[in-house]
Amino acid sequence: MTACPVGHDSVATDYCDVCGRRMDAPSGPAGAGSTGAGSGGAGSAATGAGSAGIGSAEAAPGPATALCPRCHAVRSGRFCEGCGLDLDARLPADLAGNQTSAELAGTGLGAGSTGSSVTSASPLGHLTGAGAASHTAGDQAGSPAPAAWSAVATADRAYYDTVMASGGPDAAAVSFPAYCPERTFALTGREMRIGRRSASRGLTPEIDLTGPPLDPGISRLHAVLVTRPGSGWAVVDPGSENGTLVNGNEIATGVLVPLRDGDRIHLGAWTMITLRQSDSAEIE
Amino acid sequence: MSQPDFNVEIFQNEYLPAGGREVNAIVTVTSSGALEAGPAAAAQASEIIIVDCSGSMSAPRTKIEAARQATVAALDAIRDGVAFAVVAGTSGAKPVYPGDGTLSVADPETREAAKAAVRRLQAGGGTSIGKWLLLARKIFGTRPAELQHAILLTDGKNNERRRNFDEAIAQCEGVFSCDCRGVGTDWNVAELRKVSSALLGSVDIVADPSGLAADFEAMMKSAMGKEVADVALRVRTPQHARIRFVRQVAPTIEELTARRTEAGPQAGDYPTGAWGEESRDYHICVEVEPASVSQEMLAARVSLVLTSDSGPEVLGQGLVKAIWTDDDGLSTRINRHVAHYTGQTELAQAIQDGLAARKAGDEDTATSRLGRAVSLAHQSGNEDTAQLLARVVDVMDAATGTVRLKRRVADADEMTLDTRSDKTVRVKK
Repeated sequence: MTACPVGHDSVATDYCDVCGRRMDAPSGPAGAGSTGAGSGGAGSAATGAGSAGIGSAEAAPGPATALCPRCHAVRSGRFCEGCGLDLDARLPADLAGNQTSAELAGTGLGAGSTGSSVTSASPLGHLTGAGAASHTAGDQAGSPAPAAWSAVATADRAYYDTVMASGGPDAAAVSFPAYCPERTFALTGREMRIGRRSASRGLTPEIDLTGPPLDPGISRLHAVLVTRPGSGWAVVDPGSENGTLVNGNEIATGVLVPLRDGDRIHLGAWTMITLRQSDSAEIE
Repeated sequence: MSQPDFNVEIFQNEYLPAGGREVNAIVTVTSSGALEAGPAAAAQASEIIIVDCSGSMSAPRTKIEAARQATVAALDAIRDGVAFAVVAGTSGAKPVYPGDGTLSVADPETREAAKAAVRRLQAGGGTSIGKWLLLARKIFGTRPAELQHAILLTDGKNNERRRNFDEAIAQCEGVFSCDCRGVGTDWNVAELRKVSSALLGSVDIVADPSGLAADFEAMMKSAMGKEVADVALRVRTPQHARIRFVRQVAPTIEELTARRTEAGPQAGDYPTGAWGEESRDYHICVEVEPASVSQEMLAARVSLVLTSDSGPEVLGQGLVKAIWTDDDGLSTRINRHVAHYTGQTELAQAIQDGLAARKAGDEDTATSRLGRAVSLAHQSGNEDTAQLLARVVDVMDAATGTVRLKRRVADADEMTLDTRSDKTVRVKK
């Protein structure tokens, strides 16, 4: 095992098994840093900050206490395994005593701590015992996720093709819609039901995919998005006729599956719902 | 079993614009045969020929006659030492040779005995393709071999319930591979394609029964040329990356995306079946999390993995990369191979859409889709497909795809175009 520039253990010696980075990538080439930085995901490495950042990370207490401030996953390298947040971003500035990293505080760090302490919400949060403690506190607070989340429903040709290819009994009768407007639903409250309106049952799901166009593979009550105390949203399929996929994998009935920004839920014959967290759109 | 060398080449534009997420690459896999291939491998192979003996095979009479001849020709092409069997399919399925539902080892004597049994085949009964496949599966099970291949010949539509048919195919998936041939024009392209796709084989039309013998012989030769069974395309992606699709794009288009089986963290295997001396192309599309400009990332590690009793063995690998740049000159270039196969995939889709619209009586859609197909076939130099298209539409201008639907189209021409719509040509050197 060797460690990649970010600190992942990798069997392969050319590119990291975990993050795909070049194993011999320079940790801080001049000028490489900030140009395109600010993208949200695992790749948001501002390489220029690399050496400083990694140094600080090593100085951090044991990994047991190091948690991602955004999703609370245990930290194992520069980038969060859970949500891809660059844990070392802006570290130098924060070290300089600047605690007004408002952007970051708002960035889904709203997750747990309801604005109680900027420190716990900053990237430094996971470095301190206090930070770790405040996570649990935040969890208990149980405040619903900020109204920053939305679900975008659209028609997905590739998924439709796989559904048709697997050829269910009614597959031939369902066609891909010629036109399907993108529908955005802001996620509010504690749960959002996904389904189709039913006058006879007096059911109006919050995420109503009745259409047109109609996706006949969607049950009246197909799935429910619920918010977990202190963090984002999860999806549960209460037992729909045709099942629900999260990022391409079918989920078990009645099991809560946590969702992250950008996760895709597929249901019916062609419907795709993408979870969006608006703050992270800002980072991008 | 002797093992061929696998060579993996990647064609892609690795440059992405700042914030770009989609990485496309064409993976060309070429296996060059091992020297000692041939009879040495025979003991590891078994072969079953499934012949439709339903009532329709007797009309015209030449059909069952041609089927018998084709089966005899195929039997002649079976190498000594290969285990084989012949199955007759009707509304049920019964072993023709050997009659006890097992496999026989090929030698001059057993081959003659099998031919004699085949010559006595008579037509009469229905068509239950699922049951035929299940009998083949059972027969293979009596003497498991590394390479298990079947040839299925039919001339009519399946009479089974959809569910039973699908279930039977699913049970055979991964057990043996199957090449399918439809004789005449009364069979259903979608049905046979379903079998051949799931069982990693080919499908084709033999419009004229007299062409059957040569076709069977060719298929058997190709089956005998396979040297390794059960090769998977393993795609390993970094965290947070998503596979948009994985599809074979040459020699035919075959969607593999939904056939992934997980192979450890962040890796999945896509089945490619058995390999002889051949070359195939795959189109892989991965969505990655963008990194900062000038950073380089491995978007996918693509390897050919042989699954055997002693564990997986990597036969070759290639790297799909992503480098972010703010130089538009670099990031906007589309790789020639990627562009070519994107076009070939669209071509197949356009033909299938066009033929479906034509059947449904929607002439406007049929004209526009088939016109698009003509234009794509022309641009990419897919001569075979262009010729097949010209039997269904009158081409005014191939470059722009201006066409007129022919008033009268022979069923055989339409079915041939449909069946072969997924055949692609490779990038011109």
